[in-house]
Amino acid sequence: MTEVEVLAAAKATATRLSKAKRLNALLTPPAVVRKSLVAQAKAVRASGVLYGMPVAVKDNICTLDFPTTCGSKILEGYQSPYEATVVTRLKAAGALIAGKANLDEFAMGSSTEHSAYGRVLHPLDRTRVPGGSSGGSAALVAAGAVPAALGSETGGSVRQPAAFCGVVGIKPTYGRVSRYGLVAFGSSLDQVGVLGRSVHDAARVLSVISGRDQRDNTCEDRDSLRLPTVPERLEGFVIGIPKEYFPVDLHPGVRRACDRAIRALKDLGAAIRDVSLPHTAYAIPTYYVIAPAEASSNLARFDGVRYGSRAAGVTTLADLYRQTRGAGFGPEVQRRILVGTYVLSSGYYDAYYRKAQQMRALLAQDFRNVFDRGVDLIFTPTTPTVAFKAGERTKDPVAMYLADCFTAPANLTGVPAMSLPIGRVKGLPVGGQFIGQPFLEDDMIEAAYALERAISGTDEA
Amino acid sequence: MSVTPEEVRQIAKLAELSVDEEHLPELAAQMSRIVDYIAQLGEAGGGGAGDHAKPFIPGPDAIRLREDVVAPQPLEGKISDFAPAFRDGFFVVPKLGAFDAGEETA
Repeated sequence: MTEVEVLAAAKATATRLSKAKRLNALLTPPAVVRKSLVAQAKAVRASGVLYGMPVAVKDNICTLDFPTTCGSKILEGYQSPYEATVVTRLKAAGALIAGKANLDEFAMGSSTEHSAYGRVLHPLDRTRVPGGSSGGSAALVAAGAVPAALGSETGGSVRQPAAFCGVVGIKPTYGRVSRYGLVAFGSSLDQVGVLGRSVHDAARVLSVISGRDQRDNTCEDRDSLRLPTVPERLEGFVIGIPKEYFPVDLHPGVRRACDRAIRALKDLGAAIRDVSLPHTAYAIPTYYVIAPAEASSNLARFDGVRYGSRAAGVTTLADLYRQTRGAGFGPEVQRRILVGTYVLSSGYYDAYYRKAQQMRALLAQDFRNVFDRGVDLIFTPTTPTVAFKAGERTKDPVAMYLADCFTAPANLTGVPAMSLPIGRVKGLPVGGQFIGQPFLEDDMIEAAYALERAISGTDEA
Repeated sequence: MSVTPEEVRQIAKLAELSVDEEHLPELAAQMSRIVDYIAQLGEAGGGGAGDHAKPFIPGPDAIRLREDVVAPQPLEGKISDFAPAFRDGFFVVPKLGAFDAGEETA
């Protein structure tokens, strides 16, 4: 691309983002994004591998050019004094930051209905949710406003909205990508992920943001991910199909789409093997002990002293904390802080937190047992249903949590996983999930390249 | 209900959250639903089997430590820019204990 073409593309992106405004997927005002994109296009170095590529960034990832609100009132207008490593790397590779994407407050949710700045609409059906918590990122990619966006995962927040919106979503191995500048939610689970309109778009952005970072000690000392070539065949791959991910009450359309994808994998030469991950049913209860426990600690920093908003008219320090947090956090965040405090409190720690950590190790052992027996990858549905109606699950937190039942195991165990479109049911996208071995994202991406070419993600299942 | 409104009030105090009295019953009901759901972990059996299973995620012993050297602050802006109130190198908060509303001191 020439400089003139990049500038024209930046302006076209701004126009597309403006047209997508009805989705409420972007928190940055369109005029601000336009001005920034034009300035970035004029200043960007032409040598980068993402030269001129607009990338939206989930609003829990710190940027210098735009505020970072985490979708919360408590951080309304908050301007970070530093930038996330992933954003610095995108810019260094020539990408243009296309504003901040809406999300469930502090990334807590599965529908992007829990943002203090209003819910995000599904691009194909406004009455439905786009998934969450990276619903804004997924909706922007699905609407064609940007080719890729950054999201974050704690329990499936990239893959689940990717599946609901019909785009590709990758959660890398825990430790593959720096989290410096990602606002912490559950520190033993959080990872930055990527959403893209194709496997290649998502994979090349992941390649750019991955690799060692001395500012994040949980980031492994490894080189950035090398992209595999697009394979003609999948001979030599052994793909496991875990029975626990195909329960009797699985949405029939999701099952049909998965069956078709499995047939395609077989036709490509992969060996298909039935496997078992026996502790899968305990993933969500385990997740909803560990994630809230970590969140209750991480979110203690938002106290009205050092960040964001502060309650007015308080008379004691305790009141300052309580009133600021009570007014600044939304209902779902408050609920999770309360649950986290409850499970860590005296008398309940052994019953819940310790038990959950034991179960987490058993879930990891499940994956290890399968991979140790020669299985390269696992294939499953990403979600048990297609995108659900807005408001359908907001009254019952457990029903909402179960939307992540097939994605949370990869977060709890740290393994990489990705979702790609494998068909549609009455026009709504279905996602298929590959789960890989730690730090072998290239195998997962290779299989996804082949499957993407073999089946149409927009055909009715 | 496994979690009572009184327990929610106590947990909220521990979590430094103000909760409206009128919302306590609803919160107690929602928390009970969640706590009852996660309680199935206790029925999972296996005793301490998980103690011996090896997780993929490395523990604190695997975390690399940086050299303890003074390095330039990576902040692009001043700390004072993002705090609600800052004066003479200190975050400014309301004084401990009761005093007139609105008064602040370092």
